[in-house]
Amino acid sequence: MSPSFRAGAREGFRLCLPVSVGIIPWALVTGLAMVGAGFTVVQAMGMSLIVFGATAQLGTLPLIVAGAPLWLIVATALVVNLRFVIFSAALARPLSGGTLAQRWLCGYALTDGVFATTLEHLRSEPDPQRRLGFYLAPSLWCALIWQTSTLVGVLAAGSIPRNWSLEFMASIALLVLLVPMSKVRPMLLAMIAGGALAVLLRGMPLRLGVMVAILGGIAAGFAAEHWQARGASR
Amino acid sequence: MSDEWTLWLTFILIGLLATTLPRASFIVLGERASLPEVLLKALRYAPAAALAAIVVPDLVLVGGAVDVFNPKLGGAIAAVLATQVSRNPWLPFAAGMAALWVLR
Repeated sequence: MSPSFRAGAREGFRLCLPVSVGIIPWALVTGLAMVGAGFTVVQAMGMSLIVFGATAQLGTLPLIVAGAPLWLIVATALVVNLRFVIFSAALARPLSGGTLAQRWLCGYALTDGVFATTLEHLRSEPDPQRRLGFYLAPSLWCALIWQTSTLVGVLAAGSIPRNWSLEFMASIALLVLLVPMSKVRPMLLAMIAGGALAVLLRGMPLRLGVMVAILGGIAAGFAAEHWQARGASR
Repeated sequence: MSDEWTLWLTFILIGLLATTLPRASFIVLGERASLPEVLLKALRYAPAAALAAIVVPDLVLVGGAVDVFNPKLGGAIAAVLATQVSRNPWLPFAAGMAALWVLR
């Protein structure tokens, strides 16, 4: 580790400390929700380490519980995570100085919070090693906080009675994610279309309605943005 | 719950194909690859559409039929209101669960 990597690591760590505290409730809730869905401690922590993504974990829980086909579960998780493709594209240049192994690690540890907090600085920092430290140190720190807090949630869930319906916390968590998105009009339309279609198409075999609803929601948001832009230019 | 091995296979496939792959995609490929502008624009709506498609049926369906007067929707409304009155990350969970228990 070069001195500039370490200097960047210290700086990035300090900048992301508030974000890392903010993920604690999410991790606890994800832990509680996995046990609420019927997972054992080992299964829950296995999912947490392998998947390492709250939205993908919380979003697929109802499908796993309902016994949906494997490809549909994976496809749903992929759609929820498509935002990471965009984040990854934004990080490609700043992190291009890392070795292949380092870049895979950067990818595995990519989270919304660290991405949002570090991107501006990463774009303006000229030293590649310093950029790598600046991104990687807080990312790995957040992963550590995430896994420990999830474990606390998983272990605590065992002593909470089942009729408290802790799995509802997963729904609340997803709603809390939706609230800031809904402030953008086309995004709100994508949500309304996606939600309404999912309800209307609930009778489709293999829970395929979920996938059709997601595609319909994307189309609605995209169309709304298009019309909005046309209306504004008129 | 399906059998143990299916569950672990599910975790591994979600982890590899749906989480690590999208995250690592361009970081690993570097600047050799890029996506068409239209696709990038459309992708921005994917998380919102997907999250709503997952969460809304859970909130408005009771035993497979639409019923908007149910404790879950009450809990959801309380949780959303909580995000508007405070930035405390715990409050939506406390408000949502409390409303669910009271209305039940």
